[in-house]
Amino acid sequence: MECSVLRDERLDVLYGEADAATQERVEEHLAACSACREEMAAQRSLRGRLAAWEVPEALRKANRPRPAPRFLAAAAVLLLAAGAAFGLSGSEVRYEKGELAIRLGSGDKDLRRLLAEQDARHREEIQALQASITVAPRAEPALLPQVEEMIQKSEFRQGELLRTSLAEWNAKKEAQRRYDMARVSAGLSYLDGKNGQHVARTTELMGYMLEAAKKR
Amino acid sequence: MGRTDEALVEACLAGEWSAFDELLVRWERKIRGAIYRLVGSEEEARDLCQETFLKAYRGLGSFKKEARFSSWLYQIALNLCRDRVRRRKGRTLVSLDELEEGGESLPEARPSALELLQKREVCRTVAEAVAALPEEQREVIVLKEYQELTFLEIAQVLDVPLSTVKTRLYRGLGQLRVKLEHQGIRGTAPLPAPTP
Repeated sequence: MECSVLRDERLDVLYGEADAATQERVEEHLAACSACREEMAAQRSLRGRLAAWEVPEALRKANRPRPAPRFLAAAAVLLLAAGAAFGLSGSEVRYEKGELAIRLGSGDKDLRRLLAEQDARHREEIQALQASITVAPRAEPALLPQVEEMIQKSEFRQGELLRTSLAEWNAKKEAQRRYDMARVSAGLSYLDGKNGQHVARTTELMGYMLEAAKKR
Repeated sequence: MGRTDEALVEACLAGEWSAFDELLVRWERKIRGAIYRLVGSEEEARDLCQETFLKAYRGLGSFKKEARFSSWLYQIALNLCRDRVRRRKGRTLVSLDELEEGGESLPEARPSALELLQKREVCRTVAEAVAALPEEQREVIVLKEYQELTFLEIAQVLDVPLSTVKTRLYRGLGQLRVKLEHQGIRGTAPLPAPTP
């Protein structure tokens, strides 16, 4: 069978997607064809090397926290409701002179009056707001395209700025990397040099020892 | 057993918009990883991933029920990546984000420093080699090698025949092999043969 015919099937085998019959067919071919066998081995080795490229740690983390369990939300709602009921009933908790005093209910009249006043105030504010909205001048139709154009220009400028700063940042990182590499390389050269000196010194000493041994 | 992606989409469309949160938690990291490998920058990956989910959220109504949600999501992400790369006029970018910041002093243990250096260099060279591939091959390599999609899923995402996916992958692997060998990266233990 021609090698090119089995090319797609070899890929299925390479990535573990082949069914039993395809697997068998490819294995039979590989046993007989050294070129395909070598190519397959090279592809497996290549896949091992490709695995070295990992996504940065920061990107692997989830951006958003997982939502809190539902029972926590339910508990929070119950607590809020209980607090609101406690407050609305006119009850209060006081801590005076080292003693904790809890008063339940009462003060109904004062509370109702205050609530009614607040309600009336809110209604007035809402009416005033509604009035201001209805009398507010509508934007001129010709003005809208201008505003849109201005927004687009602004977005474009911001995009350009972002692109420029990204390019600068990348250049800076590249320079830093080169500098760090040079430092590492210099460090290694220094260590190599020291090692060389040490070897030379050992050789010299060995020479002296051999000479001394000969003289004896 | 949790709901399927498609069930969550239906729940969203029925008004349960919190179901989208679950889809986000499920797919965000994978999509961000794919985008990072296609555009080469950590910041852009965050940005485009956010845009992908925003587009998906807005366009849920146009999602066809017979399609897979993940394929649709990858399609949106790939389109955004293509636009971004074209806006950079085809200039590929290889970020050094993944390389940790080097200190001023040398690490104490020499072998580990060398190993670290080698690992970073291999990582960088692989990233550059993938970035240098033609767009079509790069996409297939990323989706197959790093996202571990099946050939069928890739064909659905790219909307091309299965044979085209395999041709692009075969050519991409060939180019990568030449590039990496040219860079002197060799000798890594091959992956074990997968079991069917």
